[in-house]
Amino acid sequence: MLLKIEDLRLSLGGNRILHDVHLELRGGQIYGLIGPNGAGKSTTIAAALGLLVPDGGSINILGQTSGADDPDVRRRLGVLPEKNGFYDWMTAEAYLMFFASLYSQPLTQSQVASRLTKVGLEPRAGQSIGTFSRGMRQRLGLARALIGDPALLLLDEPTNGLDPRGRREIHDLLLDLAKSGVGILLCTHLLDDVERLCQRIGIIVNGKTVAEGDLGELIRERGHLSRFHLRLAGELPTDVDNNGISSIVAREGEWLIVEVDAGTRPDEIWRELLFSGWPIVEIRRNGGGLEDLYFSLTERVAA
Amino acid sequence: MKLLAFVVATGLALVVPAAFASPLTISLQPATTNPASPQMGDNLSFHSIIRNDGTAPVDGVIAWISLVQVDKGKEQPVDLEDWSAHKAVTAVDLEPNAIVETDWPMRLIQAGQYRVVISAASRSGSELTTSPFANFTVRQKPVVESLRILPIALGIPLVLAGAIVWRRRRHGKDG
Amino acid sequence: MNATKLIARKEAGELLLNLRGLIWLMAVAVALSAFGMLLISDTELSLLDNAQVVYDMAGIVTALGALLALIVGIDAVAGERERGSLVPLLLTPASRGAILGGKLGGVAIAWAVMYALSLPYLWAVGSTGQNMLDGMLVAALLGTPVVLGFGFFGMGLGSVAGSARAALLVGLVTLVVSVSPLLLGPSLRQSAIGRMFDAVNPFSAAVNAYDAVIIDSQSIVAQSFHMLVAAIWLVLTLVFARVSFRKIAR
Repeated sequence: MLLKIEDLRLSLGGNRILHDVHLELRGGQIYGLIGPNGAGKSTTIAAALGLLVPDGGSINILGQTSGADDPDVRRRLGVLPEKNGFYDWMTAEAYLMFFASLYSQPLTQSQVASRLTKVGLEPRAGQSIGTFSRGMRQRLGLARALIGDPALLLLDEPTNGLDPRGRREIHDLLLDLAKSGVGILLCTHLLDDVERLCQRIGIIVNGKTVAEGDLGELIRERGHLSRFHLRLAGELPTDVDNNGISSIVAREGEWLIVEVDAGTRPDEIWRELLFSGWPIVEIRRNGGGLEDLYFSLTERVAA
Repeated sequence: MKLLAFVVATGLALVVPAAFASPLTISLQPATTNPASPQMGDNLSFHSIIRNDGTAPVDGVIAWISLVQVDKGKEQPVDLEDWSAHKAVTAVDLEPNAIVETDWPMRLIQAGQYRVVISAASRSGSELTTSPFANFTVRQKPVVESLRILPIALGIPLVLAGAIVWRRRRHGKDG
Repeated sequence: MNATKLIARKEAGELLLNLRGLIWLMAVAVALSAFGMLLISDTELSLLDNAQVVYDMAGIVTALGALLALIVGIDAVAGERERGSLVPLLLTPASRGAILGGKLGGVAIAWAVMYALSLPYLWAVGSTGQNMLDGMLVAALLGTPVVLGFGFFGMGLGSVAGSARAALLVGLVTLVVSVSPLLLGPSLRQSAIGRMFDAVNPFSAAVNAYDAVIIDSQSIVAQSFHMLVAAIWLVLTLVFARVSFRKIAR
């Protein structure tokens, strides 16, 4: 278990911000922490990092209950905070070398180059950070979070400011990291990112965890299947194998309306269907899945 | 009758001022060490001798130095604040024929033409005694220390400005 | 290299390689140059004793140094926090103490640069006058704890204030009050309250020591009381910075 939070309570300036937050994250998992603005997601991360002192509850991070104050914990931790600032006068290369030295892991130039290549910044290694766009800064922040080869990554809106290609590259990077055993806590507003990346999620509303657990199970438990409209260029193969489709709801001209098991990833399902010969030319989502779950939970609590 | 009144009045005019005229006399000379053609920043000194020429002692003599600028269009009394710390002698009691000698040093602050005078009064006397004027001219002094200050005052900000420009250019090149 | 040295080097870079830092140094140089130019352009000032001018310049260097150190100290904490670059630093394995030590080192480097910048000015106004070298030495001995104290004070303020602006406001007011002996007339400083304030004010300690050494030609060793006041100021502000920085949150 890399991160376990139980019954977390925290007040700031006399106001109760968190009053019942819990989550569990293991190595190799990507955990999506979602919720409306001001729900307490960033506060939860700050408490987990030891930047805020909770009123009650427990936080076990990388096996330590003393929190992230322990230098050994911080050595195995990588963080991309919500507000991501840099030293604009430094080059990207110098910046990573500076942080690597603080982790007692001085890097050679080639090692720095490979870190920057991972996040797509190698061509800009020698440029001042002050000239970087928002997306480049986000990538550099990620490179900094990965400096110490962390066992646990806490990322607050990691794809903020990235174009679609950049988002996909970061997704692939995070999936690779998870495959290598890194635990990743992903705090984000982008439900698409959560659906693509996360196995477990926690939904926080008004400082309280209202849903927590395996993504597929949560969606199934609450009866939310994902519905998609598939535009077909021809007829379906005769030996139709549904490959993860829960049910074919209806056929309307060239459109096929299907429901998908929320425990699987939709893009993997489409890949399998295409390999099976399904003539799919367009896919549109039509409600259901995580989005429905999120809206139903947040509306209910807001009401 | 008119002639008698005239004689009496003339006699009184001669006698009364004599009775109440100050017994003090003051002489004033520039010091022999003064530069012949002083300029701003130089030091001058004047030497005065106050003598009691009367037959009775004079108590509580106060003597002070005054300076006026007499350049045409700039006539004015001069505040001796920066010129001299020694502006007066006080509480001097002078017996008949006794003298008090005083040196009056001053630093020349501003260029121009000047007249200096020493004045004296006593506790009970009714008249002011003054010395003759001592006149002097102060030449303008060229701007001081500019050869040291100017290169520093202009040079250091220029170097830093160059560093700022270099930094901005480098920043721009990176973009 | 240990974390403290690494961070101190980074802070020095903020001053010397960052455009913002260079502009601050430029502002200091322009102020010193303006005073120097005033000396040669104003008739009466140009005739002041060299000792008086060196004394005045030493006082101005110390006041400007305290201002620069205050700004650097506040920016090192509150400014970084607002720019979002403090939290990543706090989350490295470097201890809070090491991070604070590095930032304090940054303030010291800023003063060292500023002092070096002022030496040509002191030479320019005083090299033919009395006690120029003693003046440079006493400005270093007394000026350093006073200036560093303001830097540490700025770091403490930056840690506890809600914003860099609030910290700067409080810091500037404190600085102006401390520097007031330069502005108040001698008669105000002679009142009972004025004398009490003079006795505990670190800036007064520095300025009185400059007066004694540069103008009255007293020995530097004889300024031990003034040095004690300045040292106490340094220690108190260091404790304030330490206690405040440890409590800093996100």
